This record gives sequence, structure tokens and C-alpha cells, in this order.
Amino acid sequence: MRRLLALVLLMQALNGGLANAAAKKLVLVVADPFLEMHSGPGRGFPVVYVIGRDELVTVLYSRTDWFKVRAATGNEGWVRRADLARTLLETGEPAPIPPYPEFASHRWELGAGYGVYNRENLVTTYVDFGLTTSLDVELAVQQAFGTLDNRYVASIGVRHTFIPEWKWFSPTAGIGTAYQYVQDKVPPAPLQKSNEMAYVSLGARGFITRRFLWRVDWRHYVVFNNLNVYEDLEEWKFGLAVFF
Amino acid sequence: MEIRLSCILLAAVVLSGCSWFHRGHKAPPEIVAEQPQGEPSIIEPQVTRRVVKTPHIKAKDFELGAYYGALSIQDFGTNPLYGVRAAYHVSEDIFLEGFLARSKAGTTSLEDVFPDITVLSDSGRRFTYYDLDVGYNVLPGEIFLGRGRAFNSALYVTVGMGDVKFADKDQFALNFGVGERLLITDWLAVHVDVRDHIFETSLTGRTKNVDNIEATLGLTVFF
Repeated sequence: MRRLLALVLLMQALNGGLANAAAKKLVLVVADPFLEMHSGPGRGFPVVYVIGRDELVTVLYSRTDWFKVRAATGNEGWVRRADLARTLLETGEPAPIPPYPEFASHRWELGAGYGVYNRENLVTTYVDFGLTTSLDVELAVQQAFGTLDNRYVASIGVRHTFIPEWKWFSPTAGIGTAYQYVQDKVPPAPLQKSNEMAYVSLGARGFITRRFLWRVDWRHYVVFNNLNVYEDLEEWKFGLAVFF
Repeated sequence: MEIRLSCILLAAVVLSGCSWFHRGHKAPPEIVAEQPQGEPSIIEPQVTRRVVKTPHIKAKDFELGAYYGALSIQDFGTNPLYGVRAAYHVSEDIFLEGFLARSKAGTTSLEDVFPDITVLSDSGRRFTYYDLDVGYNVLPGEIFLGRGRAFNSALYVTVGMGDVKFADKDQFALNFGVGERLLITDWLAVHVDVRDHIFETSLTGRTKNVDNIEATLGLTVFF
């Protein structure tokens, strides 16, 4: 039954793909004296064809900063974003080449990094969604590797960016809740294998280039357990992220 | 329950079939005329506003594929390895990549000489890892095959970290790699990779860093 369901879903996906393949492509007019087409999407690839002024060019798809285009003659090649942005629509308006997402007001962020959690090595991945330019929701999944145990931590919280328009360095602070699962490596087994936690965080973020940014974060966790004393944990991490 | 599920599946198939038939039809008209509202005036403005929808340019920045090769597990011989990889190309130079792979360790020399000794259980010999890497295309360019054929390619280096599960234990592991990406077409690529997974273990008595080098051949698609 499950296989059948998978097959149907696959067929649906393929069907959708085929239907989309027939969609219209963007046609642009070259406004510069010429437009250079490279053999590949990168500066290491040679120019293989040149399209003259007032000639039409069809945009097929993009990869990073390069656009695969087709000339009226049928020749295909890759054009730089900056070059293609200087072409025009057939109506004479500027070409609708999407600019980079604005760093200060980006919505989505996807990142990973290294950290130290409870004096253990930590691998962290996170997704971040901006509710406003200064307030976002962060969802993180982390794995810590210790000598006595391994810990898996999932957390959700809100974070405030104090001055989002500061591009290179902007301080942040946040609060949230987390869940920890402890997998013991050597006996004795921990008294509690899983805990709920709450945290406060302080950090900073900064723009690197294009769609890249860095983040550092310090977190203080309070671990809720059945014992009479609360356990406190500390975490440091550094991450790289892509924003959309 | 089974019948209900079957009905839903059948409906899904039928509906997908409908969209298939619809494929040949033209897209809905893109020019929309604004209808004048309210009382008819003496001078009827003959203005129709054109709502021009510019087609969306599809970005093909993701890469997904599988690989197969050999993994040399320190002290445990060289064994077949298979895995999956997914990458996101941020710029023409930088990409982020994730790997998930599995292999199975062989026997140590000690076990070969003394067959009665077993260092690891059967499940402990399983070597599973995931990696999160940053990659940099160091040498992009064309590779020539014969007189009339050129392929786009790039030599890249990757560095990252992740988890290696070996001997029934998860260890934090760093990895360093170098690879070559050869594009057969714009959407299909062949990869040749060499990567070293380094982690600390005390499996053979004393605590040491072990190097586990893999050499793999992979196939990926861009989408």
C-alpha cells in the first residue's frame, strides 16, 4: 500500500514537472553593444558566442550568479547576472532579473555550525524565519559528542536583532525552550534520559557576501529534572548561514 | 480503511490524468481589461491596463546524488562504501554540502591471526556517518576529451564536521576532502572524491586520532 502511495506521488510530481516544462520563458532584448555567452556558469569558462544589440535572448534557468540563455540562432550559453540585468524586456522596461535578497530584511535563513555544549563538541543546524526585520523564530537541531554521553538537543525560540541595519555586526538576544535526549556511552546510565530545558541567548550576526552570513551565539540552559537542584548548561557556537 | 485509501489513490490518479490532458491548452490570457464600475459616464475611457506577468526564472542551485567507493577504516581494512549527498551552490565558488553514508568494517590483523578473538560485534562493525561541509571550487574550467569534446569541470576542496557512528558509538568527526566535478550535461555531474574522516577513539587500547580515508565515485543531478 505504501509503495503504491509512493508511486502515485512520484507520478504526480513527474506530471507537475512536465506541465511546468511547457511554461513560458523570459525573452529579453540586448541593450548593450553585445552580450557575452560563456560555456559554463563561472569565470573560468571561455566566451563561446556573442549576441549583438537589439537581438532577442531567451532565459532558460539560473545557477548561482549565472543565467543559461538561448540566442535566436539556437546557440546556448551562460551569461553573468550583471550583464543580463542590463538587457530590456520587449516592452522596453528593464529586465526583471531578481536582485540579491536584502540582508537587513531577509526572511529565511538556513545554517550550520560548530559549538561547545556542556564542554562537549557540538554540531548544530538551524532554520530561522523572520517575523519582522528584528524579530525571528529559530528552530535548531543539535548533536553534542561527549566522553560520557551523546546529547541530542532540539530547540525553538525567538531572537531579537538589536540593530538589523548594521550590516557587519549586529548584536542579538533571545529566549526559548528546548528538549534534550541523553544517550549514555559509559555506565552508569543517567537518572533521566530526556529533559525539557529553557534558555536565554546572547549573540551577534554579520553579513559576509551575497547570501552568506555568520552568527555567534552563547546560550545558558536551565535543565528541568526530577532532582532537587536545577542543572545549568552552557553553550557556545559559531555558524555560517545562507539567507533567502 | 484499505478501501478508503484505494479510493483516494484512484481519485489522485484520475485527477493527475486530467491535468495531463489539459497540458496542450493555452495558458490563461495575461492581458486583463479593467471593467468600468458604477454609473455610465458620457465619456467612456478606452483605457485597458495591461497586467504583464514576466515568467519566473527557475534557479537550479541544488545538487542531489549518490556515491559509491571504498573506505579505509583505520585498523579495520578497506571496505565498500555507499552514500547520498546534497549540495546547495551559494555562489560560483562556494557551496554547502551534506553527506550521509554507510560502510562495514572488516577484521583487524589481530582477528586474522587469532580467529577466536573478536574485537567488535556485528552491529559494531557498521560505520555510518553524516557530514556538513563547506566547499570551494578551486580550479574551475574545461576538460578536453579528444578533439571535439569539452566538459565543464571544477576541482574543489571541502572541509566540514559531522558524526561517525562506529563500534556502536557516535563520535565527533572532522573531515577534509578534495574532489573533481565533471559535468556531462548542465544538469548531470560525475564526482570523484577523496575525503578523510578524522575522529578520536580508544578502540584498540589507547586513545588516538584515526584517519579513515575514502575514495568514491558519484553521480549527481542539478535541479
